[in-house]
Amino acid sequence: MRHTWVRLHAFIFNWRHIFTEELVALVLVLFIFIAPASAAMRFQERSLYINSTVPGATTSYEVSFRYMSPQPVGSVEMLFCIDPIPYHTCVTPVGLDVSNATLSTQTGESNFAILSKSANRIVLTRATSSIPTTSSSYKFDNVVNPTDSSQPFSIRLKSLSSSDGTGAQVDFGSVRGQVTDGMVIATQVPPMLIFCLAQKVDYNCGGSDDIFYTDMGTLDSKTTLKAQSQMAVGTNASGGFAITANGTPMSAATNVIDSPSSPTESTPGKNQFGINLVENNDPEIGENPEGEWTNAIASPNYSVPNMYMYVPGDVVAYSPNVSLMKKFTVSYILNASPSLRAGVYTTTMTYIASGRF
Amino acid sequence: MKSFKSIVIAGLSVVVFAASVLTVQPASAQSSAALSIVPKKNYVIEQGKSIKDTLTIRNLDSQKELKLTLRVIDFTFNDDGGTPKLMLAEDAPQTTWSLKPFVTLPKTLTIPPKGSKTVDMKVSIPASQGAGSYYSAILYAAGSSDGGNVGLSASGVTLAFVSIPGEVNENLTLEKFGAYHSPTADNKGGYVFMTAEKPKQIAYTLKNQGNVTESPVGSITLKNMFGQEQTINNINPNSSLALIGQSRTFTSCIKLANQDVEFNGGTAKSNNCTEPDLWPGLYTATLDMYYGQNGNNTKELNSTVHFWYLPWWFVVAFIIVIAAVAFGIWRLVNKFKGRNFSNQRKKLSRRRK
Repeated sequence: MRHTWVRLHAFIFNWRHIFTEELVALVLVLFIFIAPASAAMRFQERSLYINSTVPGATTSYEVSFRYMSPQPVGSVEMLFCIDPIPYHTCVTPVGLDVSNATLSTQTGESNFAILSKSANRIVLTRATSSIPTTSSSYKFDNVVNPTDSSQPFSIRLKSLSSSDGTGAQVDFGSVRGQVTDGMVIATQVPPMLIFCLAQKVDYNCGGSDDIFYTDMGTLDSKTTLKAQSQMAVGTNASGGFAITANGTPMSAATNVIDSPSSPTESTPGKNQFGINLVENNDPEIGENPEGEWTNAIASPNYSVPNMYMYVPGDVVAYSPNVSLMKKFTVSYILNASPSLRAGVYTTTMTYIASGRF
Repeated sequence: MKSFKSIVIAGLSVVVFAASVLTVQPASAQSSAALSIVPKKNYVIEQGKSIKDTLTIRNLDSQKELKLTLRVIDFTFNDDGGTPKLMLAEDAPQTTWSLKPFVTLPKTLTIPPKGSKTVDMKVSIPASQGAGSYYSAILYAAGSSDGGNVGLSASGVTLAFVSIPGEVNENLTLEKFGAYHSPTADNKGGYVFMTAEKPKQIAYTLKNQGNVTESPVGSITLKNMFGQEQTINNINPNSSLALIGQSRTFTSCIKLANQDVEFNGGTAKSNNCTEPDLWPGLYTATLDMYYGQNGNNTKELNSTVHFWYLPWWFVVAFIIVIAAVAFGIWRLVNKFKGRNFSNQRKKLSRRRK
């Protein structure tokens, strides 16, 4: 057994020494000469110009790109899909139709004609010939735009050495396009944002107590004044919503009761004006957000029980997505130091509901 | 004298009554604070052309009129999310992407209880205006209340985006890419390289250094240690935007649940992340992303990252298994050593005999 291993080792050792240099040279040759020639490259400077971006309109498309491989090209395939990734399943954009497209203009690498076409595919053909790496463009008339403006679409481009759109590809790449005017789908309501505010509001903004102010009482350094208001919000917009709280902190003439800029406990005897959007027990005030839809939440800084803050312009609640109606209760606390100047301290809190981008 | 007294009393009564009415009036004159608006508008307008559109606003209050003041204000980004930072100050400087000079709107509007009105809006783009993205917000401000310490006022905002076609400067750079936890009430969220909690999202952060808003498209492929793949086909399902100058984080659900929901008399499509089918281990995520405006070059960004999903139960189980294997090996080695030692002792004792 031992002799067998010794013989095998001697055999391998010997051959390795003989062929090392030759093997390295062979690998280098393969890398330098064979690999690049066989590897498909991406078209560069790819673009799509849609003459009219109205959904469903019949218009012209101009597809431009620069051929990269110096290999002969006999055909170019253009596949219209939602997804630009060449190896993914192609889903045809709704409403798009290139089956009546005509090739009206071509620049750069020319002499192409349409070999075949379907609703989402065009194959251009010509006699196979070598090409320099030039920029080229192809303009197609009578293209019917997709009807859905909510998502972009792509044209997957592929050049091939055969003239019938089959066989190995030479270069590839995708261009992106989108129709931009809104489309109304009969079964869907257009995007809307519903928002209401008062001391008390219904969950669906169907009604409120129509009270838009609160008298918090008389300030003193030993007790915390408190108040609350409610707001309900919902949107069917895919981007969701955001509510910002705006307005200066409590003030009387030039005297201002400062607000903590981070979540802080309520401390009687210290000048403080703060809000939060959750249920608290120190002092007892507020309610947690109501509504089964979990997308809409109070901002993290304003959702810590018994911790209050207020920075004008801060987002106090938001949803990153569609959100059915949700009700938020805003709690206000007000503390005063013994040295606070006498006066009627007031503020107007403006809550602004907006869409998101 | 009696008549003088009665005149004074009558006069005082009128003053007290008038005072009470006057103090109550501002509150009752308060506008409704319940409205429905369009959250976002998108337009493509060529240089030298204009468009006319309508904005529909509804008053949801059944008792009060909705009195609105309309104003065009600028906005920018707040952070890496999609919440606008509104520039509310009257003297706020105009942004370079402002639509203010191009928009014509009425200044005030009154809507009866439970009623709705459409507002005519016109956007006119001068012939000399350069191509790119322009955006501002239309603010509908309801009147504020008088009385009390804390007055309440509700406003709504429509974000308006205009794209002027032509040759634009597009430049997105990828800043971050990886597994992501969304912020919640208990957790601020963010990117994770190693996580005990199953990630529901993959995110990427793009810095927009061009002069147009960008809405990327593409896909993300997620591969586990054993080569099994799952693909996120739409990496921007809400068509979110990276504003000019913004570093925007786009999130994509690893497993998406589309749901039709009833909303205000119609249906709306909701995309929510659900629990993905991930086993503990190392994951490789590959991003293939495209962007480009109409008539401009389509550009690509690609990236590959790795992350670990290691739940605590798996870590504990793994440690127990490793400890058990180590213990087993140790026992085997000891047993083997012990057997050799006893064999040697037996041989020695036989020789002595």
